[in-house]
Amino acid sequence: MLEIKNLHARIADDGTEILKGINLQVPAGEVHAIMGPNGSGKSTLAYVLAGRDDYEVTAGDILWNGESILALGPDDRAAKGVFLAFQYPMEIPGVATMTFLRASVNAVRKKRGVKELTTPEFLKVVRAKAAELGVKDEMLKRPLNVGFSGGEKKRMEILQMSMLEPSLCVLDETDSGLDIDAIQIVAEGANKLRSKDRAMLVITHYQRLLNYIQPDKVHVLAHGRIQKTGGKELALELEKTGYAEFKLKAA
Amino acid sequence: MTITTMKTKAEEQLAEQFARTAPLLPGGAWVPAARRAAFQAFAANGLPHRRIEAWKYTDLRAGLKEAFSPAQCSTRTFDAAALATVLGPDLAQLPCIRVVIVNGRWQAKMIPAGQEPGATYHMGSLAAVLGQPDYDWMELCFGVSTISDADTLGGGAVVDPVMALNSAFASDGVVLSIVEGARLGLPIHIVSIVDADAPMATATRCLIKVGAGAKAEIIESHVRLGESPAQATAVTQISLEAGAEAHHVQHLAANGSSAHLGRWDVELAERAIYRGFQFTAGGGLVRNETHVSFTGPDAKFDFSGAFLGRDRDHIDTTLVVDHSTTGCESRELFKGVLDGHARGIFQGKVIVQPVAQKTDGKQMAQVLMLSEDAEFDSKPELEIYADDVACGHGSTAAEIDGDMMFYLRSRGIPEDQARALLIESFVGEAIDKIQSEAIRTSVMNIALAWLRDLPAQAAPLKAAKAATPNKARE
Repeated sequence: MLEIKNLHARIADDGTEILKGINLQVPAGEVHAIMGPNGSGKSTLAYVLAGRDDYEVTAGDILWNGESILALGPDDRAAKGVFLAFQYPMEIPGVATMTFLRASVNAVRKKRGVKELTTPEFLKVVRAKAAELGVKDEMLKRPLNVGFSGGEKKRMEILQMSMLEPSLCVLDETDSGLDIDAIQIVAEGANKLRSKDRAMLVITHYQRLLNYIQPDKVHVLAHGRIQKTGGKELALELEKTGYAEFKLKAA
Repeated sequence: MTITTMKTKAEEQLAEQFARTAPLLPGGAWVPAARRAAFQAFAANGLPHRRIEAWKYTDLRAGLKEAFSPAQCSTRTFDAAALATVLGPDLAQLPCIRVVIVNGRWQAKMIPAGQEPGATYHMGSLAAVLGQPDYDWMELCFGVSTISDADTLGGGAVVDPVMALNSAFASDGVVLSIVEGARLGLPIHIVSIVDADAPMATATRCLIKVGAGAKAEIIESHVRLGESPAQATAVTQISLEAGAEAHHVQHLAANGSSAHLGRWDVELAERAIYRGFQFTAGGGLVRNETHVSFTGPDAKFDFSGAFLGRDRDHIDTTLVVDHSTTGCESRELFKGVLDGHARGIFQGKVIVQPVAQKTDGKQMAQVLMLSEDAEFDSKPELEIYADDVACGHGSTAAEIDGDMMFYLRSRGIPEDQARALLIESFVGEAIDKIQSEAIRTSVMNIALAWLRDLPAQAAPLKAAKAATPNKARE
């Protein structure tokens, strides 16, 4: 269970406050969507969950399975099961995708106290999962994300997610820049990971991704706070009315 | 009128050493005169200093406080096991034709069965060649039968101080000629080892000719045993005849109190292809200066390198590429990693003469700065006198990218490992330019060992365990 309690966060560099008291609970086995207008703090929330040090938490707490993760670095959070699928995955020239995947999987396994995968074991797992997600062998041979299309990058994120077997998945605007076919593939990959042991937070501006990944709850984030919570029908409502209501509220 | 300039301590020592040791250096009838001419050419200007543009960032007058005495012979024999300690196991096990030079003197050659010189190549010691009165070797290699002017030795008219000093003091080296049209089955590895209990200086010279249409791989290692500081001048002159192809790699690893003044002169005839790579790990004061000239059209020059510095290492890469004929291509990619108070220098001068139309030249120097005290000086110089050319250059100096670090760490990779991965991949991109897989892997492992601050011989174990960029290239 993810519990976010009165979370306040600001940009470390200039002190701009972005998150102004977020309260949220995502039980294991549920998928929650966070929707909101641009600049509402959606991506900041994703980054703060993953432990990016460009943001400073000034008040509140984030508990994962009852334990505060605020003091943990991003790598230790990953070991605890937190996974952020990036809106804009980084291109890392010179780091071969396979090298990266193996370093990542084994680092997490080591921290979780699970035996590291040998080369043949690793190759077997990665090939099987890559095939499921339509990630071509040729992509695995290239430097990480370099020269990948938007859709390829997102598929690579989902591949990483399935390799690392997280218990908390945060998908940040996973649909941005994708056409319908790509959204379907990515959503299918994410849906496969739905399980009773896993919590998922799907961050999106538009409702369309939620046609493919059906949420149990929808939260509207604006001005750094959760403004409204409802079932999946709230997303459809927002699709009709837009975010005007929440923009006005602040004015 | 005589102008007397103040000589530095090092300059005085060099003059004394030349007077004392020149009679002992190898050389037939004409050689002593050529050496004297070279030393006089050096002495006229002395050590270069910062007011000489080409030496702006590498002031030898300030950097060389004293000139060490010429090296004594080593009594140690470098067999395979001893080589592994100085080269690391990868390079030591590289299947190759190998020459071992110890303290500036040819010690041994190791030639696998079936690879003996004769049909495809000729190889000998420079000292022996210089000692022969009839110049057979020089004629065989270079098609000249009289070498009366110091130019062939490289000193003379050229007042390059490194070339001049090397001509004056050169004690030995390799003379190598690849026969026209020959394809060597193995690379030729020239290993120059300094084995010193006390500070000492060496001067070595390699003369290489790759005959028309021939293809060869040449590696030069400059390594050392022991902690005593050393000074070296090392000159390689390589000429490629029409349609020849050469892959030429330098592997330089030394400790922080040494000085290495290297110079490569590359000459390309028509359609020749030259791929050079210079790898420098540490070494104190290092100058790698390369001059390239094109004597025929449509030749290709592709030159890259990686330099790694920490503490007070000073690593200078200076290139002068002179396009004096049409349709030639030059490519340079250099990458450096600088930590501590290390200083990196890249000077890349590309000259396109008025006749050199259709020249295509590109140059890039990139440095990763790991410390706020590191310094990188980059000076690209384009002198273009022709109007139908494509030339470009770029240079970057950056810290480790915070976004990339976060991305890797968010995937569970610990901070130090993520950092190492990014540094290694940065260097790996340059090392990837080495075409031979065996040599590329060896150099990468030496780089990894250096980056992890381990002795070279410990590298392969570590490299095999950790997930490193070269692993994925398997």
